[in-house]
Amino acid sequence: MARTLDTHSGGRRMSVVSQFRSALAGALALAVAAGGLATALPSKAEAAAPEACAALQAKYPGLKGKTLVNAINPHTPGYETIDPSDPTKYIGFDIDLGEAIGECLGFKLTYKPVTFASLLTTLQAGQADIVISDIYATKDRAKAADFITYLKVFDGVLVAKGNPKGITGINLSLCGTVAAENTGYVEVPLIQALEAECKAAGKSAPEILLFDNNANCIQAILAGRADTYINDVNTVDGAVKAYPDKLAKATAVTLPYSVGIGVPRNNVEFRDAVFAALSEIQKSGLQAELMKKWNLPAEQLESPTLVLAD
Amino acid sequence: MDLFLHYLSMPYLFDGVGYTLLITVLGLLGGLAMGVVLAAMQLSRFRGLAVIARGYSIIFRGTPLILQMVFCYNALPLIGIKLSAISAASLALALNEAPFIAEILRANVIGVERGQVSAGQALGMTPSAIMRRIIAPQAIRSMVPALGNEAVSALKNSSLASVVAVQELTLRSTQLASATFDFFSIFFASGLMYLVLTGAIAIIQILVEMLLDLDRPPPREQLRRALRALLPGRPEPSRADGSAVVPQGAGEVDRKAVADPLPPAAPKAAAVTPADREARARRLAGNGFAVEVKGVRKIYGSQTVLDGIDLSVRAGEVVALLGPSGSGKSTLLRCINRLEGWEGGTIRVGGQSLGSDEDGRPRSPRGVAQMRASVGVGMVFQQFNLFGHLTARENIAGPLRWVQGLSRFDSHRQADELLERVGLSHRVGALPRHLSGGQQQRVAIARAVAPGPSVLLLDEPTSALDPELVGEVLEVIRRLAVEEGLAMIISTHQLRFAGEVADRIVFLSGGRIVEEGPAQQMLRAPSHPLTVRFLSSMNAE
Repeated sequence: MARTLDTHSGGRRMSVVSQFRSALAGALALAVAAGGLATALPSKAEAAAPEACAALQAKYPGLKGKTLVNAINPHTPGYETIDPSDPTKYIGFDIDLGEAIGECLGFKLTYKPVTFASLLTTLQAGQADIVISDIYATKDRAKAADFITYLKVFDGVLVAKGNPKGITGINLSLCGTVAAENTGYVEVPLIQALEAECKAAGKSAPEILLFDNNANCIQAILAGRADTYINDVNTVDGAVKAYPDKLAKATAVTLPYSVGIGVPRNNVEFRDAVFAALSEIQKSGLQAELMKKWNLPAEQLESPTLVLAD
Repeated sequence: MDLFLHYLSMPYLFDGVGYTLLITVLGLLGGLAMGVVLAAMQLSRFRGLAVIARGYSIIFRGTPLILQMVFCYNALPLIGIKLSAISAASLALALNEAPFIAEILRANVIGVERGQVSAGQALGMTPSAIMRRIIAPQAIRSMVPALGNEAVSALKNSSLASVVAVQELTLRSTQLASATFDFFSIFFASGLMYLVLTGAIAIIQILVEMLLDLDRPPPREQLRRALRALLPGRPEPSRADGSAVVPQGAGEVDRKAVADPLPPAAPKAAAVTPADREARARRLAGNGFAVEVKGVRKIYGSQTVLDGIDLSVRAGEVVALLGPSGSGKSTLLRCINRLEGWEGGTIRVGGQSLGSDEDGRPRSPRGVAQMRASVGVGMVFQQFNLFGHLTARENIAGPLRWVQGLSRFDSHRQADELLERVGLSHRVGALPRHLSGGQQQRVAIARAVAPGPSVLLLDEPTSALDPELVGEVLEVIRRLAVEEGLAMIISTHQLRFAGEVADRIVFLSGGRIVEEGPAQQMLRAPSHPLTVRFLSSMNAE
């Protein structure tokens, strides 16, 4: 979230109405900031590597001039959401990266917004050609799609302000707490796996509330239904910025995963083309530039590797 | 509040409303089309079709719509059917709505009085004509509220299309909320949009109900009244100027028999002397048989209702069926015009069998209906069974057009003549529910004789009437018997009437004919003990 937005400092005990109003105002400021940024910064990939891309277009002529469908779960500010100032458009780092890959290989993208859990089923059903949606490339998911990684995973632990439950990560501190997660997120099995450890320590297992998008997970904490939401650190930072009086990031967690682009399993040529284009985009420094634009830490960048099913 | 208004007026969300409406309309239309097919299958006389329809209902009513959406979107491509998101969502909604709509249709079809169906059959209407002219118009009126409900529920269910990436209102609201963190104003705005949509459906439902209301004045009068309401400056014209339109069928049920006296009787309807009777009996003896019943047996479950009935009725003869309740009188009449089947024996009307063709093969329901019309066998029911949605005139004129193929003009002329003969020319525009029982039965008799049948069956025509209304109906039947010269079989408890009108009395008990003979003789000197006991108990009342 590349927002330099001034957060207003309300009194410690604001009335419900004024809290609500300040939340709305904050959101509006955010929307304006996001809209302004999207237009202010260069987002084109022309600078990438014209010759290299031209060579790739020659090597993969079948993609040139095509319009492919990118399945996204547009509920992840910074990676993919609709553009609040023009809601027919999608914005975010993943969107820019996808456009840059398309630019390099000569195809255009349209977007299909689905729930997180249906990203890969949509790809499998042929209703989409590619998935670039902040999805972690795990071995399990590789059964449904081939992945080309592009970012390392840093998770943040979103909690209510002051971290009343003292949560310090995906560890024993989660025992007896309620975690909000999205259906299909990798954090879900990791939290579930704590059950045995918690039992051994004489504590109750963590409870998981499953939702369909980030907004609902964040609302769950705001409404006091959940104690934590563990997800991509940039998403967590964004939420804290939007509700600075109510939310906080307890800590960051490293997960042994990478974020990957999902492509159909049986289309090696397309996979190779995307892999090559991504390599060029990284080599030219464009990905680093886009990461800066969307305020992702530079150390998150990861060279492309394939994550395939065993 | 500003943000709420901002989102309320946002074109992005309005476009979402468009998609919501599109899916809802497609889903409802598809569901209606499939629902009609499913309901028809379930109501069909072919069991296999009903079983298939039932199986479909179990599956698609028993699984969540969200699964059906995902199935249509993500599973159908695996078998080569790749639908767009909107088509997949509309299809899923249609598949899901179909069994619910089918049940609404079926319930309302079944809800139309069975008696009206019997009346339609007896008039020789084919099953499809009965469905189109009698059942559908009444069922459609009564199913409007349930369909309105279903439309509202479909509109709300369309929000589930968000799981298959249809850009409808709910999906757009959640996306917007995710991008702006502006949860509440967005959902209040989209909630209000849904309310406006469902409110519009409610208004449409009320309008349709008003339009279909049979008691409403004609559309032109409605328009005039609406204009008057909008332009209060113009006073309502007074009733005295004669331009006021009397709404169809409005007004109190007319219970005063004096209000609609029968026209004067024809000379030959005057009192009958014993000498006349003998002459008539000799004349009838030379006529051919209008109805021949031979050895008819009918069994309901373990109970034998008709136990070997033999009865022949000559053309122009009037036969009264007497006997205690449950003796089989009604069943015999319903067998004669093939409203019911039987297990053994034969029945011929006008020398023909209604239920089977010359080679003994059973006829289809349509074929039986056509035979009833061509042979000419009419029926009058205990419960009148007038078509509830049609005026007195249309109850008579409608079947003349649909079965006998008369023109609108001719059918109306004939209906008006008949209504005048039964003393109801001032009630031509009245609906059955605004007529007294006696008036209804007189319309029903006029309806039964309108096509000029050769045989008229009357099933306890006065039993459902208040005592003071019995006389007017009996008088109409008495005149018919004298003036029309058609064969009549009347089941009745009116002994005096039977003695006056009938040529012959047949006494039934326990599904058998116990005794029969000339009317006067049967009443004066019955021979069988059962007849004696029955007659004395009737006279004691």
